[in-house]
Amino acid sequence: MDLRRIDDQLWEIPASARADMRVPARVFADREMLDAISDDLSLEQLQNVATLPGIVNAAIAMPDIHQGYGFPVGGLAAFDTAEGVVSPGGVGYDINCGVRLLALPLEAEDLGERSEQLVHEISRSVPAGTHREGALRLRGAKLDRVLQEGPRALLDNGVGLGEDIERTESEGRLDGADPEKVSDRAHERGSGQLGTLGSGNHFLELQRVERVFDERAAASFGLRRGQLTVLIHSGSRGLGHQVCTDYVRRMDRSLERYGIRLPDRQLACAPLSSPGGADYLGAMAAAANFAWANRHTIAHRVRESIGAVLGGAAAKGTRQVYDVAHNVAKTEHYGGRALCVHRKGATRAFPPGSPDIPAEYRETGQPVFIPGSMGTGSYVLAGREGSVERSFGTVCHGAGRLLSRTGARKRIQGAELRRQLESQGITVRCPSNRGLAEEAPFAYKDVDRVVEVVERAGLAGRVARLRPMGVVKG
Amino acid sequence: MYRWLDHTSEMELAIEEESPEAIFREAAVALGGLLSEGPFGDPVQTEVSVAASDLPGLLVEWLNELVYLAESEGLIPERVVGIDLGDIRVDAVVACRRSEPQNLIKGVTYHRLEMGPAGGGWRARVILDV
Repeated sequence: MDLRRIDDQLWEIPASARADMRVPARVFADREMLDAISDDLSLEQLQNVATLPGIVNAAIAMPDIHQGYGFPVGGLAAFDTAEGVVSPGGVGYDINCGVRLLALPLEAEDLGERSEQLVHEISRSVPAGTHREGALRLRGAKLDRVLQEGPRALLDNGVGLGEDIERTESEGRLDGADPEKVSDRAHERGSGQLGTLGSGNHFLELQRVERVFDERAAASFGLRRGQLTVLIHSGSRGLGHQVCTDYVRRMDRSLERYGIRLPDRQLACAPLSSPGGADYLGAMAAAANFAWANRHTIAHRVRESIGAVLGGAAAKGTRQVYDVAHNVAKTEHYGGRALCVHRKGATRAFPPGSPDIPAEYRETGQPVFIPGSMGTGSYVLAGREGSVERSFGTVCHGAGRLLSRTGARKRIQGAELRRQLESQGITVRCPSNRGLAEEAPFAYKDVDRVVEVVERAGLAGRVARLRPMGVVKG
Repeated sequence: MYRWLDHTSEMELAIEEESPEAIFREAAVALGGLLSEGPFGDPVQTEVSVAASDLPGLLVEWLNELVYLAESEGLIPERVVGIDLGDIRVDAVVACRRSEPQNLIKGVTYHRLEMGPAGGGWRARVILDV
């Protein structure tokens, strides 16, 4: 493969590498990571993205890139709103899968032996896996209001706080959400799933701030060394999955009408200006709003658990740091041009001064959360100017998978992993040994190196490292 | 016969059988095994009918419908009792067992999708987002 070094952190496959590529494909990585990336089909998938109509500048991948379907995971692409396309497969089935961080008004040493009790209480109050007991059940007009307004629609029911919404990307609501573009089946799948984690790599972690890299930024985010945090990773559940399924099918059938030829059927797309494109954007925005409402409800349950174990003052003092989406398509402006930025396993990371981040963080830059794995740690970053210049305001979304699920299961059994994690002081609540083994820490890349590449590339700066104390998984 | 292939982040299903009908039957069995290992409740038979614009797309729709039945009604496919397969439509009766799925499938993708004759029999490949 013709892979050229642009600088120490950026590599490029030129547009001339394939006759159907319209723009280059670029990867942020160091040399060693690049060798690992080349082991699977992720670079071929990135080149496929570079063939899509109306793509601007380059198809870009972050250092956590790995093989997905259609777009690689850790990939992004921006499309001209007049001439470009929108691709449901480029957003993925878990629309607005994302991460939310809560900071407790306590330090880890204050918790003592109540750590396990708190993890247990959270696992009781937040349904995980296929379980729905305790989910918020909404149908009809009430569900449609959530699809239109996101978490703000839940405040009247006493779920969450207004300040949580202010500290959420896009304030938890994408414009243009249209419940009528969401199928009956998607409505049905979502009706009993608000406040549920789901399965796969979704999780909820109790953590402590292990290290602070940037005291000023950490103080701005309300974080200090030793502090307790809770990280929530979930998405739009069955509702979002069904929206993607419905629109990939629809766009697959309309490709010929628009004269679009693709190297991969999963990249099925439609012009942003077409009825099909507009309908998908309306449905996707509704699913994104549902996902924010889902994480908002989970956070509410976590606060209730904190109240039950640590008392009302601890619950009241638990502050949402921020909430970021990492599977979404959004209209943003770069160089005076409106672009539809697809992020598939990639996180918005706007720099200091951006009007699109909360005023209290505007001097610091947008908070970004990068989960590593349940045995290693996660990062809090702050967006930097380089993200706008080099990656359409985007950084990575995690460590990135290295090993397949079957490969992980071959190397360790769930019961053994559970024992290893608990010997490190990490409480585990996961009903599925199989699911636990698939998410073993060695199945992921080294999150420290991934984040170092992002920082050296000027996309975001390290603020703090979080160490897991307890994990709840489906 | 089916097997699961290594894929960095998702699940890739490979099936080799003597006919397209057998591919669809085996796909249902493979999916059932992925969704739940039990315990199972009562046996239930359900009718499944889906359409698509071509045969590979029909395999995607078939699996999508079975994923939906598992998530929404707790029906885990066990075997296909009867099947009437055309190029763009399939009507079948599927024997299921009631069970909460232990593993959820987000979607059945068209990525590197294959379904066609190969080596005197039939071969299919399909990637599931898990």
